[in-house]
Amino acid sequence: MTPALEATGLGMRYRRTWALRDCSVAVPSGRVAALVGPNGAGKTTLLHLAVGMLAPATGEVRVFGRPVRESMERIAFLAQSKPLYAGFRVEEMLRFGRELNPRWDGAAARRRLADLGIPLDRRVGRLSGGQRTQVALTVALAKRPDLLVLDEPLADLDPLARDDVMRGLMEAVAETGLTVLLSSHVVSELEGVCDWLVVVNGGRIQVSGDIDELVAGHRLLTGPAETADALAARMPVVSRGGAGRQATMLVRDATPPLDPRWTARPVNLEETVLAYLRAPDLAALPRPSLASAR
Amino acid sequence: MLWLTWRQHRTQILVTGGLLLALGLLLLVSGLRATAYISEHAPSGCPGPAAACSGVNSAIYHDYYHPVFTVFGLLPLVGSALVGAFWGAPLLAAEFERGTNALAWTQSVSPGRWLMAKLGLLGGMVVVAALALSAMIGAWLPVFRGAVGDKTLEPGTFTITGVVPAAWWLFAFVLGAAAGTLFRRTLAAMAVTVALIALTIPAVFFSRDSYAEPVRTVTTGWTALYDRGGSLVRDAWVTPSGQEVITPPDGVCPPPPGVDARSERAQLLKDGCLIEEGYRKAVYHHPPERFWRFQWTETGILLTGALALGGLAVTRTLRRRS
Repeated sequence: MTPALEATGLGMRYRRTWALRDCSVAVPSGRVAALVGPNGAGKTTLLHLAVGMLAPATGEVRVFGRPVRESMERIAFLAQSKPLYAGFRVEEMLRFGRELNPRWDGAAARRRLADLGIPLDRRVGRLSGGQRTQVALTVALAKRPDLLVLDEPLADLDPLARDDVMRGLMEAVAETGLTVLLSSHVVSELEGVCDWLVVVNGGRIQVSGDIDELVAGHRLLTGPAETADALAARMPVVSRGGAGRQATMLVRDATPPLDPRWTARPVNLEETVLAYLRAPDLAALPRPSLASAR
Repeated sequence: MLWLTWRQHRTQILVTGGLLLALGLLLLVSGLRATAYISEHAPSGCPGPAAACSGVNSAIYHDYYHPVFTVFGLLPLVGSALVGAFWGAPLLAAEFERGTNALAWTQSVSPGRWLMAKLGLLGGMVVVAALALSAMIGAWLPVFRGAVGDKTLEPGTFTITGVVPAAWWLFAFVLGAAAGTLFRRTLAAMAVTVALIALTIPAVFFSRDSYAEPVRTVTTGWTALYDRGGSLVRDAWVTPSGQEVITPPDGVCPPPPGVDARSERAQLLKDGCLIEEGYRKAVYHHPPERFWRFQWTETGILLTGALALGGLAVTRTLRRRS
């Protein structure tokens, strides 16, 4: 099946420094993918390349098998600043969407805003932060995209608004089956929402895969420190910790340890992501077969 | 795109329309009042070049022509600067500044079409507005032709009549748009646009004389030539032997005793004496018949500039670096 988004050998340079280098990543269709990474890792650059806001220095991005700039009818983008025309009324923002998009679904947009209690005659500049995000999301969804790209959609929102925005997004996913790629640096709020994870670190793709498989494929081992080295030599260790005689290791290995002095427990998404972010040289990427699948 | 362009730029469109209407009214009232004054006060055959008309000519000039022309004389600079700053500069700079380029250029309509539609629609409106103004001034000027004479190629009149105003305004608009892609801040783009227009205007004004090889006329009646409304490039004296000199030799026609050599009267006496001695004046000038040729030359220059700047704006917008 054609992936919703596929980047091959993607590179982007600002003057001398590479913001992204040799990135190959695919997001299968129908997934809600989280793009995670520290600040300045290249998340926004990757998203801007994915929606054609930037032209890559190397490599290419394909959306449903076609170059990005030929696919703009199928892509919607919500930038980090949630740009809207501040002088427009909400209904004028809807008219904007209708004028510029042939697949526009105005009725659904009006319904969505009515459900949210956002008046259509309110000026965009007078909306609250949460309402602004909701209007921007409505404009993006009414385009009826097959791929929705969101850059930090939850940043600068209060917890209630975060929940509302996420719920609105999930309802749209359930209704239409669209693919979502959203960036965030708060891993905890992605659990239970996203089912695909892409970690970008230092301008490179570090992790890409199904979240359940990824989490299930890792274990946190605890045992005596003096045997830690011997154990670490036999399996891929992502991170090591512990104090004194007790050692902990987050390993990419689902089998229980043979040594009875060691205990294993499952990890959660945040632990896994943090372990990888602390070890930027390690990667957990799918086999090349997936990256090159067309 | 039609609706979006109107919605985003309606303030400029309405204000420009309002200003044009006000200027039109000013011209209409001025023209009607001058016509009424002429029919009431001017003796028959006046206003005109006859000596008997000088009183009424001067009254019409000072009371009706000059005050209005002072307003319109500023238009080449002020009009272009306003169009560049308020129509051109915000077009792209405001989108970059507010981040709305990320919204506008990720819709189904491609950024190329978005930009072409905006440049085309707004540029078209700017051209129409300038032509409307030029037509109104073109209808107002003939009222004063008798009293003021033909000013066709005079710099002030030349710039606000014919097709040149449209070329200037379009140039200013595109310059503003290009400045917006380079500076990406509305205020900075506006300031740069105004500064560049202030530099372009004198550069173009001073190069006008070289749009064509000036006509050389050797004559003794040069005042009549000057008054025809052409544009004077330079003049020189021609000696009786046919040689062209900038100033005649000092020995010829010294000022008579008792006349201050610096005075205008001394100059007039000297000119008359030189003619009697067989000197002639060689006047290099552009006759008023060259009006349209000069209009299209200047339009061509400005449109070439606008095209280059438009290309810059388009490539910088489409190349896209955020």
